[in-house]
Amino acid sequence: MGIFVSRLLATLFGDKEARILVLGLDNAGKTTILYRLQVGEVVATIPTIGFNVETVQYNNIKFQVWDLGGQTSIRPYWRCYYPNTQAIIYVVDSSDTERMSIAQEEFHAILQEEELKDAIILIYANKQDLPGALDAAAVTEALNLHVIKNRQWSIFKTSAIKGDGLFEGLDWLSNTLKSR
Amino acid sequence: MSGHDAKYFTTTKKGEIHELKEELNSQYKDKKKDAVKKVIAAMTVGKDVSMLFTDVVNCMQTENLELKKLVYLYLINYAKSHPDLAILAVNTFVKDSQDPNPLIRALAVRTMGCIRVDKITEYLCDPLQRCLKDDDPYVRKTAAVCVAKLHDINAELVEDRGFLEALKDMISDSNPMVVANAVAALAEIQEGSSKTVFEITNHTLFKLLAALNECTEWGQVFILDALSKYKAKDVRDAENIVERITPRLQHANCAVVLSAVKVILLQMELITSTDVVRNLCKKMAPPLVTLLSAEPEIQYVALRNINLIVQRRPGILAHEIKVFFCKYNDPIYVKMEKLEIMIKLASDRNIDQVLLEFKEYATEVDVDFVRKAVRAIGRCAIKLERAAERCINVLLDLIKIKVNYVVQEAIIVIKDIFRRYPNMYESIIATLCESLDTLDEPEAKASMIWIIGEYAERIDNADELLESFLETFPEEPAQVQLQLLTAAVKLFLKKPTEGPQQMIQVVLNNATQETDNPDLRDRAYVYWRLLSTDPEAAKDVVLAEKPTISDDSNNLDPSLLDDLLANIATLASVYHKRADAFVSRARAVAPREEDDEYAEGQDSGSGNSSAPVPEMATTSAPVPSTAAAGKGVPAAAPAPVPVPDLLGDLMGFDGALVPVGPATAATAEPPLPVLLPATSGQGLQISGQLTRREGKVFYNLNFENHTQTPLDKFMIQFNKNTFGIAAGGPLQVPVIQPSGSASTLLPMVLFQNVSEGPPNSVLQVAVKNNQQPVWYFTDKIPLQALFVEDGKMERVAFLETWKSLPDSHEVAKDLPNALITNVDATLEKLATTNLFYIARRVLKDTNQEVLYLSGKVPPSIPFLVELTCKVGYPSVKCAVKTPTPEMAPLFFEAIESLLK
Repeated sequence: MGIFVSRLLATLFGDKEARILVLGLDNAGKTTILYRLQVGEVVATIPTIGFNVETVQYNNIKFQVWDLGGQTSIRPYWRCYYPNTQAIIYVVDSSDTERMSIAQEEFHAILQEEELKDAIILIYANKQDLPGALDAAAVTEALNLHVIKNRQWSIFKTSAIKGDGLFEGLDWLSNTLKSR
Repeated sequence: MSGHDAKYFTTTKKGEIHELKEELNSQYKDKKKDAVKKVIAAMTVGKDVSMLFTDVVNCMQTENLELKKLVYLYLINYAKSHPDLAILAVNTFVKDSQDPNPLIRALAVRTMGCIRVDKITEYLCDPLQRCLKDDDPYVRKTAAVCVAKLHDINAELVEDRGFLEALKDMISDSNPMVVANAVAALAEIQEGSSKTVFEITNHTLFKLLAALNECTEWGQVFILDALSKYKAKDVRDAENIVERITPRLQHANCAVVLSAVKVILLQMELITSTDVVRNLCKKMAPPLVTLLSAEPEIQYVALRNINLIVQRRPGILAHEIKVFFCKYNDPIYVKMEKLEIMIKLASDRNIDQVLLEFKEYATEVDVDFVRKAVRAIGRCAIKLERAAERCINVLLDLIKIKVNYVVQEAIIVIKDIFRRYPNMYESIIATLCESLDTLDEPEAKASMIWIIGEYAERIDNADELLESFLETFPEEPAQVQLQLLTAAVKLFLKKPTEGPQQMIQVVLNNATQETDNPDLRDRAYVYWRLLSTDPEAAKDVVLAEKPTISDDSNNLDPSLLDDLLANIATLASVYHKRADAFVSRARAVAPREEDDEYAEGQDSGSGNSSAPVPEMATTSAPVPSTAAAGKGVPAAAPAPVPVPDLLGDLMGFDGALVPVGPATAATAEPPLPVLLPATSGQGLQISGQLTRREGKVFYNLNFENHTQTPLDKFMIQFNKNTFGIAAGGPLQVPVIQPSGSASTLLPMVLFQNVSEGPPNSVLQVAVKNNQQPVWYFTDKIPLQALFVEDGKMERVAFLETWKSLPDSHEVAKDLPNALITNVDATLEKLATTNLFYIARRVLKDTNQEVLYLSGKVPPSIPFLVELTCKVGYPSVKCAVKTPTPEMAPLFFEAIESLLK
């Protein structure tokens, strides 16, 4: 009986999880962001060889957040996670200017994916706390975001360590998802 | 799986895999779990569900222990078929190995051990290391077994990461189960290793004996088996061990009992006091007897082991022969083994009882068993002289029953009895002859014919008897033909009358002309020649007195017996064969040597061949190449580079990298060139040089921290360069405290990111750490670090290559700073850097030395070198011919620095 009621409630209140992928180069801060969002604190991380998945409840939306390892060796397997994805959070290390071009290439490769053509895109220009970090405009420029057509996207300056900007981004994400 | 889960086995819909895929990706946890169960169900009935790999692995991070277990089960099955994708599971293992629930930690580490995928083993070392030191004994004991599994996949990794030491430490663990598993893991590793991994010392012996009483039954078996490898120092040591182990004999688990018996038997070899030995024998009997009341399969194992035990120490069970009497409902394999032991235990004291039993068995229905019983009687007769007559009487009784196979078997054993006790029981021959017609088995026939021939003079109608066999001579099997031939000869020699004379003629004719069997023909010719040259000599030869036989059948060779006794309670003791006769351990003493031969050493490195290491440590001069070559190890460190420090060398595997403390690095080696001075590195000073060690290229780096803060998380990156040199593993530098330093040997790989354009020696390096910005600096690639070990050319090949290359490929340069003072010393030095001497000559008019050398740079660019100099005077002229003359400047740089 209890199960039945909770199922009923679930269908009534649309207890649906939005599937979100967190992508980005290695050392961009994806795992730190995930746990900052989930438990609200900075946890010590090691390079993610594989993936993390956590459920984050925010603004009455349940996000099923998949944080995928960013190592070159693991990037090819990102595609295994593309189906049924509503949104992508693309994390960029704003201070890593040298690899900005690689970040750009990977990003545009993601945009080309057929399975992700309906996914909305949130970009975190992360590591704003570091000296020499590019600001949102510069990251927009570096990632060549202006070419994105027919797709909702937004970029936020964030610092996962300080917690700045993350929830603003999530606000945008949840509002955009709700409005669809 | 509980009953109602059976429904998962019954889906037959189309597109099942697709359906499963959707369900696995479902939002709802129940649905997901159901889907995973369906997948596992499909897997267990043999359907291939490997294409769902990622979908299943994605279900891995869950709170639900049941679901997690199922996913792990799936992983174990399919990780091999998706070695690339298996990497996706690594992070979850890492997380689970830190889970607050010890069951999950243990589950993770257990599963990790079962995933035999090379690519991910390295990532699993950190979690394993953590679990080996876990607070929970359950996790530790699971981790111990995992080390053994990992050793099977990658032995070097286990040694590098110090897991063997961790295992050895575990022997002192407070939890006996952990001790037992550590012992089991070490024993397993030892079996697959040619080195001594695990040796019980005084200290560990004490620990093991203490843990023995407290751990589980199977743990006791592990510990007892380990103890059986221990050689006691003296009698007291042995007695002490035996005393501690004796209580194990009362254990309910047969494996424990047998293992305990094994240890006691081995230690008894040392014990001299007969009282103690007798006492021990008395104690071992009841547990062995108890084993025979277990299931028949266990009885069989016990009997096979007892067979060995009574061969060494018959005293133990001398009074227990009754327990080996066969029951009517024993399975045949148990009966056979029991007979074997009854024969071994039969003595003058119990022979009457035993014979009664045997006689009983000989009237049973199972033919094989009956035959064996009859044979057993014969063997007792041969073994016990005083009982021989009684045995024969039993046999005669049996013959009278006139059961065909009993009679035949009896005749066979009676022949052996005659051979054992010649001229004692011939009176029974008459009885035997009565059954002549019933013989149809070759062995029985041959035996009977032998008896007739041997005792021809006492059998009046011997010729008639033989005659009856001769009629079918051509059709008889070889065994019978040979006996007939010999018997006919004997008869002829004993009774050279007309009948036998004719007979011998027929037999010899038959045997020499009608048969294809070379043995028979040869023997016939020998007899023929003997008889025709000297019948007296033939008599001496053929009728000579024969040595009596003794019963040694089914007794093992003493050394084999020793071996098997040391392996009681293993398959070896059941098969009565040495383990290596039926277990192949191809991987065991693997081709380590061969690995070393690879000049480039890119694949599974070896470097660990401990031989050259001590030399390097003690001498600061380079090892002469001859010495190294003798061991099959490529030439050692190049001369001008710093002498390798001991630790770095010990750990000089690919991928492995060991930070070395400043103290170790301080041994009289020339300082490395400074690449990034402290002044421009905000207090961080980096010095380093590419070096070549045992066929591999390393970046020998030293970091000095002159800042006020600790520096950590060092990383290194190399820009594209001519040789595509790049890091072969992550840079592993510990946290460097203020005014501290750290050295490391970074293994390098070649042709990783090759730059275009003309060759140059520039190596651009970037190093970063957590506290400072990225530092860039430039180093030079010394070509001498790249010369490969197989660069030696034969003279002919050298000449041909020289001729085949156009003159435009020859580049010459004067090296004003180079100097050769002693040609031999120089050649030796050059050889250590893999520049090999080909020939030399002296220019008479100028009194100059001309040296020819060869070398090779990867991928395989040969360098043919001509050095012209005046010994003792500076300036050397160097000419080099190579398919890529653009590299000549690099070569000149190298040779100049070598000849400084």
